[in-house]
Amino acid sequence: MANPVLQFQILSKMPDETAQFYSSLFDWKVDAGNPMGYRQIGTGSKEGIQGGIWPAPPQAPNFVQLFVGVDDVKIFVKKAENLGAKQIIPPTILPEGDEMAVLLDPQGMSFAVWRRAAK
Amino acid sequence: MSQTLFCERLCQEFESRRKRNSRFSVRAFATFLRTDHSTLSQILRGTRRVPENRIATWAKKLGIGEEEITFYLAAESAPDAAAHARHEQLRHWTAEAASITREPIHFQILELSREPNFRADCRWIAGQLSVSVDEVNIAFSRLLRLRLIAANGQNSWTDLTGIPRLTEREFLVMALARVRESAFEFGANAFLK
Repeated sequence: MANPVLQFQILSKMPDETAQFYSSLFDWKVDAGNPMGYRQIGTGSKEGIQGGIWPAPPQAPNFVQLFVGVDDVKIFVKKAENLGAKQIIPPTILPEGDEMAVLLDPQGMSFAVWRRAAK
Repeated sequence: MSQTLFCERLCQEFESRRKRNSRFSVRAFATFLRTDHSTLSQILRGTRRVPENRIATWAKKLGIGEEEITFYLAAESAPDAAAHARHEQLRHWTAEAASITREPIHFQILELSREPNFRADCRWIAGQLSVSVDEVNIAFSRLLRLRLIAANGQNSWTDLTGIPRLTEREFLVMALARVRESAFEFGANAFLK
């Protein structure tokens, strides 16, 4: 399986304001009607990737993470660790069945590996 | 010790003079700058900082303009990249500890996850605890980061503290220990006793 970037995630200390800004600017649709209350962004285009907004704690910086699609989260976490990455959030199954882990690459940038739940 | 911006500029200047004249020495460069060669040699090797009161004098001797000098002086008072990274690490982990200590939501989520009617739904949890969904998600992320909870099934979160009848006091002790362990794992050595 190839490993495309499936999603971007904006971590924001003020997620409502961030959602308001981008939906006003680009007409993106933001929908939080899911068990995580996750602000899912629909860009309204089939081109490019879709995204989401996650709340960041007050002391954290605002930043963007990329979610890379994998067929086995645990295997890719191991592989990333062997290449020098560190686990921030271990493999975790989200309420709707998606599985993800967040890692810090050797240069200190965080990213996620993500397996979508089978529909 | 990492090189400062002005030190990098001095090295660059020295190398460019050496390229023009292969016999150009550190001693000759020191004489030109009116300083002693052992001090300059240490500065060029990056084992000594340029004394702040010399930056403007040396820069003028090298023909550097006032505007550029202003940046070198400002850069001297800014922390270097390594110090900045250490400071950021320290700030991050102390903030994690402060949040765990001050915000009871972390303990409350763990308590709730043990209830038979628990639902792995952040909106439901927010309703049960009378907090916002964002507050639940921030606390949930922190509990995951500190390996105090695991979400390993579509409707199940597991308390990883391993304590059968968890009290708030026991939770705090364990959580702060996890903050220290994580900080150390991520290179914030200041947290090592």
